[in-house]
Amino acid sequence: MFVLLEQLRRARRTAALDRSGAIGSCALRHVDCGSCNACEHELTATLGPAYDLQRLGLDLVASPRHADVLLVTGPVTTRMVEPLRAAYAAMPEPRLVAALGDCPLGVGVVADRGALAGPLERILHVDIRIPGCPPTPAEITEALADALARRA
Amino acid sequence: MRREGSPARPRLEYVAATSWRGEVERALARGLRFRCAYAGGEGERSWSALFGDGHEELLLRTFASGDVPAVDSVVDLVEAADWDEREAHDLGAIEFEGRASTRPLLDHSQPSSAWAVPVAGAGVNQVAVGPVHAGIIESGHFRFHVVGERILHVDPQLFYKHRGLERAAEGMRPAAGIAIAQRACGACAVTNSVAFAQACESMLGSVVDEPTRRARTLLIELERLYNHLHDIAAICAGVGFAAGNMAFANLKERALTVNRLLSGHRFLFGSVALGGNEIVPGAPAVEEARARLSELGADIAAAWRALDFAATVQVRLTGAGVLSRERAEELGAVGPAARASGVERDARTYAPLLHYPAFRQARIDRPSGDCSARLRVRAAELATTLETLDDLLQGGVEAGSAVQRANADGAADVGAAVVEGPRGETVCVVEGDGARLRRFHLRTASYANWPALAAATAGELLPDFPLINKSFELCYACVDR
Ligand code: SF4
Repeated sequence: MFVLLEQLRRARRTAALDRSGAIGSCALRHVDCGSCNACEHELTATLGPAYDLQRLGLDLVASPRHADVLLVTGPVTTRMVEPLRAAYAAMPEPRLVAALGDCPLGVGVVADRGALAGPLERILHVDIRIPGCPPTPAEITEALADALARRA
Repeated sequence: MRREGSPARPRLEYVAATSWRGEVERALARGLRFRCAYAGGEGERSWSALFGDGHEELLLRTFASGDVPAVDSVVDLVEAADWDEREAHDLGAIEFEGRASTRPLLDHSQPSSAWAVPVAGAGVNQVAVGPVHAGIIESGHFRFHVVGERILHVDPQLFYKHRGLERAAEGMRPAAGIAIAQRACGACAVTNSVAFAQACESMLGSVVDEPTRRARTLLIELERLYNHLHDIAAICAGVGFAAGNMAFANLKERALTVNRLLSGHRFLFGSVALGGNEIVPGAPAVEEARARLSELGADIAAAWRALDFAATVQVRLTGAGVLSRERAEELGAVGPAARASGVERDARTYAPLLHYPAFRQARIDRPSGDCSARLRVRAAELATTLETLDDLLQGGVEAGSAVQRANADGAADVGAAVVEGPRGETVCVVEGDGARLRRFHLRTASYANWPALAAATAGELLPDFPLINKSFELCYACVDR
């Protein structure tokens, strides 16, 4: 246990994160609509010791009912349209939709068109665009912090 | 005739519909293992199954007959073919005769009574979870049949992420198809791309040279490194051990930065090409990567010792989600999950198209088939992977190419490959020619292991499912395709 905590302390020192503090508060909810899973890996990394999204007041929540922002990954398969709409419908107003990665933006998608309902813009209005394949944790963090700062 | 250092190209054998079961039985009796089965290739009625042992690969093909295309089922002979048959039924509309039932697998249009196993009895309830989950998890649905908190049976309903990737590849040039194999799954991008490249090269009758083999092996082991670290972090999260989760997440992050240093991409995208490799890092980058990996290796070893002696963690893992050796064999489980149950199977022990001289499979003391064993297998394999990486980097990384050779092996419009990725054997079959792919089929390690995960879940408590799930850490993306 001591070794693990010591390694984490070292990680925090080398990450040299900006500690100016939270700029507000924003709850995020993720819905995978057919990603390759690399976007999920990077989103998970934003919550790790090297990026620490929570220091900015941003956090992932377990239910869309608690969320301000819906983070959507993947090109939106026909099979995920209904679950996506249901998640969006469950969110309280005001709510924002973020396209996480190139896939929901309809860029560079490889798939059989018949299996897709996307890009995301066809289903929900997109407020935040985070391009990249996948966007790095630093880029995801920056895009979300920016969006929060603009609204704050 | 096979040349030295080249794997077996699949031998295509046409079988009359009436002797399908007999031929499958014969292949199994000869010691060949079921690898995959798929519809299509030579028209909608063509139905093929690949068997092999690395030295011999046999592709049996028959044609479904009748007004409603039908073939004999073989699930009673090969339980591992269950999902393959159900997939062909849903996508290819082939009927399988002799099965008790062909429950829908990809077809989401039917009520749960059609696709879930009927479970009856006093106090039996169903719990539906997903496709959207509470964490950052891929989409998929689980139907648990429970009494109280005890799980009697679980039916995973996947394929919410189905993007029709195999169909999308049809008609493409083989060189362009690699993008599809890569995007099938971010976490298995290298494994799937190498499997696809090797299958195409086998079809086209070309062999890659030594630098390519080394570069591909390097990429596969880099992929295994960050995946195993990720999986260990996930298992820690599964038992609510935050310190372990975060420490291993940080080790994974460091592995990803090494990936970026060597390939320009954290998940090694775009690093595999048909007939070669796309990464040629300079000597300083290779040196730097070696130094960083050696430091990382020391920290991994220290972190693992701490985790191994964290009694509160280990006690939660021991005895949870047991997959017996017999069930692992019957269900055709692969990779660390199979090895944790004592099935010593690893495609790296025979991989003439990669670079594993003197490969020694990592072994654990008690292959007890539980969450603890699946954790320990990964920790043990990390050491082997780091050794392999150091060895490969020591020799430098060069650009490679393919050597074209005459198609001496006869009709070569079919190619196949098996690659040991982080989650186990991934099988790829391609049909076509140099200009056009007629069929592309990818059966990943996750596809092979989902039924094993369901089996390990039976009899456990509902709150333990996330842990058991994470101890397998299967992909949805490359299963759904
Ligand atoms: S944007 Fe790229 S990394 Fe993200 S899900 Fe799509 S293919 Fe994967």
